[in-house]
Amino acid sequence: MTALAVTRATVARVFRDRTALFFMVLLPVAIIVVIGVTVSGFDQFRVGLVPAARTGPVARELVSGLTGAPGLRTRTYDSAADARTALRRAELDAVVVVPDGLDAAVRDGRQVTVPVLVEPSGSAGHAAVSSVSAVVAGHAARLQAAAFAAGETGRSFDDALALARDTDRAASPITVRGETVNGRSDYLPLGYSYSTPTMLVLFVFINALAGGAAIVQTRRTGVYARALAAPVSARSLVLGETIAYLLLALVQSLLIVAIGALAFDVDWGDPLAAGVLVAVWALVGTGAGVLAGALFRTPEQVHAIGPALGIGLGMLGGCMWPLALVPDWLRTVGYAVPHAWAVEAWTTLLSRNGDLAAILRDLGVLAAFAAVLLTLASVFLRRRLTAGSGT
Amino acid sequence: MRVVLAIAAKDLRQRLRDRSAWVIVFLAPVLISGLMAMAFNNNSEFRAELGIVDLDHGAAATGLTQVFESPELSGTVRVHPYGDKAAARRAVDAGRAHAAIVVPEGFTAALSGGTASPVTVLDSVDFGLQAQLARAVTESYVAQVNADRLSVATAVAAGVPREDVPELVARAALSRLPEQVRARGLADDPLKVISYFGPSMGMFFVLFCVGFGARGYFVERQQGTLDRISAAPVGRGALLLGKSLSTFVYSLAGLGTVTLVSWLAFGARWADPVGVAALSAAMAVSVVCLTALVIALARTERQAEGLASIVVFALVLLGGNFVFASGTSLMRRLTLFTPNGWALRGFTDLGTGVRGWTAVGAPLLGIAVFSAAVAAVTALLLRLRRTA
Repeated sequence: MTALAVTRATVARVFRDRTALFFMVLLPVAIIVVIGVTVSGFDQFRVGLVPAARTGPVARELVSGLTGAPGLRTRTYDSAADARTALRRAELDAVVVVPDGLDAAVRDGRQVTVPVLVEPSGSAGHAAVSSVSAVVAGHAARLQAAAFAAGETGRSFDDALALARDTDRAASPITVRGETVNGRSDYLPLGYSYSTPTMLVLFVFINALAGGAAIVQTRRTGVYARALAAPVSARSLVLGETIAYLLLALVQSLLIVAIGALAFDVDWGDPLAAGVLVAVWALVGTGAGVLAGALFRTPEQVHAIGPALGIGLGMLGGCMWPLALVPDWLRTVGYAVPHAWAVEAWTTLLSRNGDLAAILRDLGVLAAFAAVLLTLASVFLRRRLTAGSGT
Repeated sequence: MRVVLAIAAKDLRQRLRDRSAWVIVFLAPVLISGLMAMAFNNNSEFRAELGIVDLDHGAAATGLTQVFESPELSGTVRVHPYGDKAAARRAVDAGRAHAAIVVPEGFTAALSGGTASPVTVLDSVDFGLQAQLARAVTESYVAQVNADRLSVATAVAAGVPREDVPELVARAALSRLPEQVRARGLADDPLKVISYFGPSMGMFFVLFCVGFGARGYFVERQQGTLDRISAAPVGRGALLLGKSLSTFVYSLAGLGTVTLVSWLAFGARWADPVGVAALSAAMAVSVVCLTALVIALARTERQAEGLASIVVFALVLLGGNFVFASGTSLMRRLTLFTPNGWALRGFTDLGTGVRGWTAVGAPLLGIAVFSAAVAAVTALLLRLRRTA
């Protein structure tokens, strides 16, 4: 009962602190939005379009083909200089400059070169050129057919082009079709389904570490010492604080899950598996937070080291980018931190429709992390409270 | 002036004795930007491991393989031949190949008319961009074949008798697509990840100085230090200047350390060291202005701490400190409402070989406008508080 009173007092104190609420809910949601928007469209090349100053129907058709190509994410620029600047700043993979006089050149039967600007040392640009080439080739096929038919029959180029478009629609060309072999993704889905679970992992941990500062503060202001002078055992204090921070981690997780589902349309997968994962991760965060509260001497130390440690571990564990992208040795190091196992479990649930059985190994490792952290936290905090008269 | 320096030196000594501040301003940004540099060290290049299954064994299929092995794609694509579709599927399934192209039997024969099975691109959900490349190159190649077939069909539709088709096919085979794409490289330096994230993380953590400075002010007020200084023959201006100077020096030292380590240890490159120094100094000035604003807004140490944290995270989120050169155009526009967003634009331009005023002129002006606006609001708040 005494432990629950400690829990009640700690939870009430946190809910009265508006700054804590900012870090608990508003900041994670803001970061989810920023990262969610940023990591969408990674399966398309980013291409800048600079339309010709003097344009005609042929040039317009080419621009429309490029704009509608599914593999390209295009943005139109008024000037080549602006597009070059965006390319230089790595905001684009390539820039297509539609040449002036394209219509006239094609009607005259001349070959036209469509320049595509790329960053020479980066290979994404050269791959983007191939995608642009496919669209240009499809467009050029109709122009070739029109020129050929005009030459064979003496019709005007425009008449033949209209005929080529009609024939193209009715024709049965050799097609290229895709066939997905491996539908089991090693990555979280893009967009908010990427940012929401990863930020849940990151912020529940960081917030729990920040909670450690409150424990240090309570120690330093002598609250624990006064409590220990009353008939309250150190064990009750430790248990009460641990339950409080576990509840806070669970509340934060559930808020992020709810906001993700309602505002960002995130499908969290199997509810039972997701619920167990949220609970086990909250235990890991609680263990880390209470341990920080026991080990650090001043709240400033926690404020300084907590965010840096949280962000660093989050990066190592794949919260900021998929571990599949980093070198092998760094991936191996990543699995030394619990974040990697949590992100892997979320990937199984969100990308592979996994259930509780599919994430049992990840849950086992996370439970082991939680057990070690909670044991250490309990031992060190009790020692700190009993040996140091509550400070 | 001596008083100003004495106050600044006292503040700096206090700050340097605080090991937490060392961690957050010097150690954390260096470690995190180093981690980012290592994570993306060999990942800046796009690579595609593509399998090819030639069931046609004709000249057209060989031509397609040669396109994938051409010098233009040699830096991007590595071709792996497979004997049958099942072997290619296994390779894609296991991740040994990112995608595979299966050229069907009869592909070459289809050049001279008739029907042909589709060319199949086997892909994996995790390598969408590589599959897109495989598909695009194949489509470009097939487009020439289809163009010849379309030329004949259009000529027939335009009135050429059907019995002339064999001659038409021969003449169409000599045609070339009238539009060709040609890649041209920019002369600028490529932007390295560390050239962006080094200063980006430096700014993120240096912005925490706003919290240190503001909290320090309230602690000193609580301890009576400010009253004791006021009792001495020290003007308010000298006190303000001294404290601002210490925050400026500390912020500049933090940013300087991160840029120096990023340059020496992780290979960051910026075209103009003077530009780097100017951007860092401007950023340190805005940290000073933001600290003054938080002090003017807050009434207690706790309020100052919370307000500073909110300001820091709002600025880094809007300023794009966590986002490498991507995001939407709206996000890029929003960065221009923050000093760190402007500074990052300057560092990006310096990182791509642009020098001098062209690279840092607009960013310095943007940061100056932001700092002046913050200073004006702060002055207004202080005046309002005095009159109240």
